[in-house]
Amino acid sequence: MVPVLELRNVSKSFSATAALKDMNLSILPGEVHAIVGENGAGKSTLIKIMTGVHQPDTGEILVDGHARHLPSPQDAQAAGIAAIYQEPMVFPDLDVAENIFVSNRAKGTWMRWGELYTEADRIVQQLGVTLDVRRAASGLTLAEQQTVEIARALSLNVKILIMDEPTASLSAHEVARLLAIARALKERGVAVIYISHRLDEIFKVADRVTVIRDGQHISTRPIADVTEQGMVRDMVGRAIDAFAMKQAANPHGPVLLSVENLGRAGVFQGISFDLSQGEILCLAGLVGARRTDVALALFGIAPATEGRVTLAGQAVAITTPRQAMDLGIAYVSEDRRKLGLAMPMPIFANISLASLGKLLRAFGLIDRRAETAMAETYRNQLAIKSADVRAEVGKLSGGNQQKVMLAKWLETRPRVLIFDEPTRGIDVGAKAEVHNIIRDLARQGVAVLVISSDLPEVLALADRVLVMREGRQAGLVPIAQASQERIIGLAAGQGERSAA
Amino acid sequence: MIRALHPQTLRLIALGLALLAVVLFFSTQIDNYLSPRMFNRISTSAAVVLPVAVGQAIVVITRNIDLSMGSIMGVVAYMVGEALVLWPGLNPALVILMAMGLGAIAGSINGILVAWGRVPSIIVTLGTLALFRTFLVEHGNARTITADALPRWLVDLPQMSLLSLGGLDLRVTVALALAACLIVGLALSRLRPARKFYAVGSNPDAALMAGINSARVVFLAFVISGALAGLGGFIFLAKFGNITVVAGMGFELKAVAAVVVGGVSIMGGSGTMLGVLIGTVLVDTIDNSLTRLPWLSEFWRDALLGILIMAAVTVDTLASRSLNRLKRRGGE
Repeated sequence: MVPVLELRNVSKSFSATAALKDMNLSILPGEVHAIVGENGAGKSTLIKIMTGVHQPDTGEILVDGHARHLPSPQDAQAAGIAAIYQEPMVFPDLDVAENIFVSNRAKGTWMRWGELYTEADRIVQQLGVTLDVRRAASGLTLAEQQTVEIARALSLNVKILIMDEPTASLSAHEVARLLAIARALKERGVAVIYISHRLDEIFKVADRVTVIRDGQHISTRPIADVTEQGMVRDMVGRAIDAFAMKQAANPHGPVLLSVENLGRAGVFQGISFDLSQGEILCLAGLVGARRTDVALALFGIAPATEGRVTLAGQAVAITTPRQAMDLGIAYVSEDRRKLGLAMPMPIFANISLASLGKLLRAFGLIDRRAETAMAETYRNQLAIKSADVRAEVGKLSGGNQQKVMLAKWLETRPRVLIFDEPTRGIDVGAKAEVHNIIRDLARQGVAVLVISSDLPEVLALADRVLVMREGRQAGLVPIAQASQERIIGLAAGQGERSAA
Repeated sequence: MIRALHPQTLRLIALGLALLAVVLFFSTQIDNYLSPRMFNRISTSAAVVLPVAVGQAIVVITRNIDLSMGSIMGVVAYMVGEALVLWPGLNPALVILMAMGLGAIAGSINGILVAWGRVPSIIVTLGTLALFRTFLVEHGNARTITADALPRWLVDLPQMSLLSLGGLDLRVTVALALAACLIVGLALSRLRPARKFYAVGSNPDAALMAGINSARVVFLAFVISGALAGLGGFIFLAKFGNITVVAGMGFELKAVAAVVVGGVSIMGGSGTMLGVLIGTVLVDTIDNSLTRLPWLSEFWRDALLGILIMAAVTVDTLASRSLNRLKRRGGE
């Protein structure tokens, strides 16, 4: 059988980072082909290349056996390739039928509304879904929006539909319906590329599974020849380089932060742990496991709605970031650009931002000399590479920006420090430095909570690992018993398939 | 009951009621307000604003804004006037085409900079607002085009009626403006490619993913808005006859007010031409009637326009928020 879509030796780099290396992939007509891989394995880049958002640096794409160049999403659509995403792409102001036909050029120039609604209705029914096609898209649930996107693809007669983490934000009931839709598409001869972290879904729906790791193709097997263990091994199989694994937990002091059954309605629930002075607890899990939401609850940005938090023996209800800061909790965000730093401002102003109160002198004026001295101290201590603390933060490298953000929070003298993806997007050298800073802080008695999707990092830093899956606590593992396989297994819900 | 109606329909009904209330209020304040004379006065005045508002609406629907429309109007009115002074024999249809063509050229400058230059439209059109005006001042060299230099048909045009019912005239200029509004309205609701204006304004990322060429759509919106500003310029020329270098100044504010009051979302993606029509009439009725109030200073009219824009957006935001809350409660 001629593959409906084939990638041959496709490579893609972004500046210095290679996202895909000699990727080979072959999709047969009418199959459900699952693609799995760890966070950062190159799945997103792969999708973007198949949908014409990115162009490969080298290698070729074949559709129905013919080499095709896909310079834009428009061209990919014309070649019969469409994608739906975790976050659906609908037009909130248009109604369902219009959303379905918005980019359909085969329908002539004039709108015939009656016909439009009938046809939209027909397509939606083919998917086995009930949905009023006259409703505005703004009121639809996530699952309904996805249905609209799938219907849009169907109306264009696509041959290949890519589903990128389609179930990440769906309820169990909605997941079942989506899997049914995927099977219905297959019946119609549409090839479905199914990308998911959830192994149970893959076993339910896929015909073949491809594992990718570090931008490379590792294996493609029929689902019957695949075991969960084998798949997980292929996913994490990389040699653990750069960081040594931690062998045993550091000695640490008395319990400082105690969290019992913490939850936020509809987001996460049942999170319980104790965090001691000098201890590093890592929150591991897949993208969408709601780890950041736990941090946001502890920092009062999106407060918890259930459960108890005890800090140094006192029950606290944290509802605002200001309150969290006063209690000695600091949160170093994963999103430096949006939530972390004021990019056009100089280094010193960013560092002093959260502790300006200390620098106020007569008439409420800021003591500029003390402010500069404060910044200089951190520049030396954390080795921020910049000639001058007056340099604009936006001009620094990612690793140095991370250090500036860290300095800002260190100056608030926190007792509990929460790091969200502390080394995302920074190079290996800076990564090791940030790790050392985190270890030093713990040694000085700070209680540290680290959210990380980077498993080697988790294993290098943590005293204990709390694994989350779909908003719930999947396990709390002491470092001595932790391994990549164990963590991935817990995070992906391995072993639950037979139970489900 | 309220839930069953589409929010757009609800908005139009509210708008109609507001217009009614305004007319009733002024009829108690001003003698002889509900007269054919007043109707003709307001309709001919609104005819100048309407094409500009329609053009503005298209741009706003794509989540942009065109602040240069008043300047484009001025340039077009002046240059078309000049052309008619030079060649008084020009065919009227050709003159209108020329006005719209000139406007489209100016609009395409905005369009290129916004669509492909990726400069925010508010900056681009704020720049061209000043640029086009300065061009006019330089070009005009302080000369005024006067009505007696213009051909007879143009000077008489504002008084010409297509039909008349008991003193209520449908003037040619009004018909022209209404035609523009109707054509654009039909196109936006019936012409498939025109739906892309809504798509781009509603969710630019999704538009890209759906294979829509957003840049081309935005460019086109500015060209059309320029052309309609040109049509507004022509009607302005016909109505006033005397054209100085300040012609059309401030019309961008009137157009934005009409569009926003007419229920076009300033965040793009929604709005109807019927709304824009009622919005224009409402804004212009208030504007014209206030001059008749002896106790109100002339200068307050601009301030009132500003207040009207802010009030419309505030009411709209509050209303849609509570409507959503109502819906959500109904859904549970």
